[in-house]
Amino acid sequence: MLYQIAVPGPIDDVEELRVLEWHSAPGQAFAAGDLVVELETHKAVVEVRAARGGILRAILAPAGDWQQLGHPLAIVSDALDEPLPAAASDLAPLLVEFEVT
Amino acid sequence: MTAKAYLREAIARALREEMTRDPSIVLLGQDIGRYGGAYKEFAGLFEAFGAARVRDTPVAEAAMIGVGVGAAAAGLRPLVSITYMDFLMLGLDPLVNYAAKARYKTGGQMRVPLVVKATAGARGQGVAHSQCIEAWMMAVPGLKVVAPATPADAYGLMKSALREEGPVLFVDHKRLYPTAGDMPADEVLVPFGRARVCREGRDVTLVAHAYMVRMALAAAEALADEGVHCEVVDLRSLAPLDVDTVAMSVARTGALLTIEEGQATCGVGAEVAARVRAALPTQPLRIARVAALPAPVSSNPVFEAACVPDAPRVAAAVRALLS
Repeated sequence: MLYQIAVPGPIDDVEELRVLEWHSAPGQAFAAGDLVVELETHKAVVEVRAARGGILRAILAPAGDWQQLGHPLAIVSDALDEPLPAAASDLAPLLVEFEVT
Repeated sequence: MTAKAYLREAIARALREEMTRDPSIVLLGQDIGRYGGAYKEFAGLFEAFGAARVRDTPVAEAAMIGVGVGAAAAGLRPLVSITYMDFLMLGLDPLVNYAAKARYKTGGQMRVPLVVKATAGARGQGVAHSQCIEAWMMAVPGLKVVAPATPADAYGLMKSALREEGPVLFVDHKRLYPTAGDMPADEVLVPFGRARVCREGRDVTLVAHAYMVRMALAAAEALADEGVHCEVVDLRSLAPLDVDTVAMSVARTGALLTIEEGQATCGVGAEVAARVRAALPTQPLRIARVAALPAPVSSNPVFEAACVPDAPRVAAAVRALLS
């Protein structure tokens, strides 16, 4: 099955934020609890960890890009051979845990 | 090519560029050195320019502005950072009685190129850490006042402020720090005294500055669904005030709503309304003001929200004005 990783929230005062660094690359598998991406608000870093395992398939917002809360950052899947859709917005969100530090 | 940036990055970029260009620029403020400022708007400057040009000060606003005025009169270009605009009151004697009057008193022989940056606005910090008193400062001859609403304008107005001949009050609203906006790739100065039409509409002119521009735009968006088309003018500069841009808009719409987070009495809106009325002496006009309630801003979040204007209050005022 295919999922999207969306910008998690709510985060106080924040409507949109910047991608700081990806810790996984397309084609790489990640496990539950792995740090997948770090995001940057006006004053804090948001660590986004996968709540379940998967394979990162496509990064939609590379480091330096901006995205609104709730909007997709990447497409992930359970299997490497699942064809990618044209748009991520209809995909179910992958459960994530996030911490603002 | 433009890139998006947070407000703090826009301010830091302006300071970095101007300090590189002009070695006489020095910064004075609380926690602006290694700490990088309350909103990280000074981040990287201490490392780039050193302790002599990026100076941490005690919590003593009267002394900070007094030292800034003296340093400016002696040939430096100081920027004094006041973490809460409420404490600008402590430094009003050197700013108003000395900096703003020096050129006049000396027949043009003495210039005081001082920038005071004061962070304004209500954000859960109570009666003495929430005020917007920029309207008081508009009434000081010799003092210029700017209050940007976007990172690009904060960048461009800060650069202009650091090239002014006399004292400037630069108002940065704390609720703008979480926001981001497109920035010019190249060096761009925003001149003082030029308002910006940030949304076009034919039914009513909304005039605001700083964070209230976002409330005006949000109200305009909501009212568009009801078939009411608002023109939104961001003043950007309060002194000098760009009456022409506002009056040209009001001449078309016939209706003016001013919006500010400070008090209505002797406020920015009162001044804008009077000058627009004078600029359009024979045209029938509908005029109203939205401002804070005549009460202190409480640290109680319910009372704070009740005191300070928001988009629904702006929209309600537009409906009342046009009904």
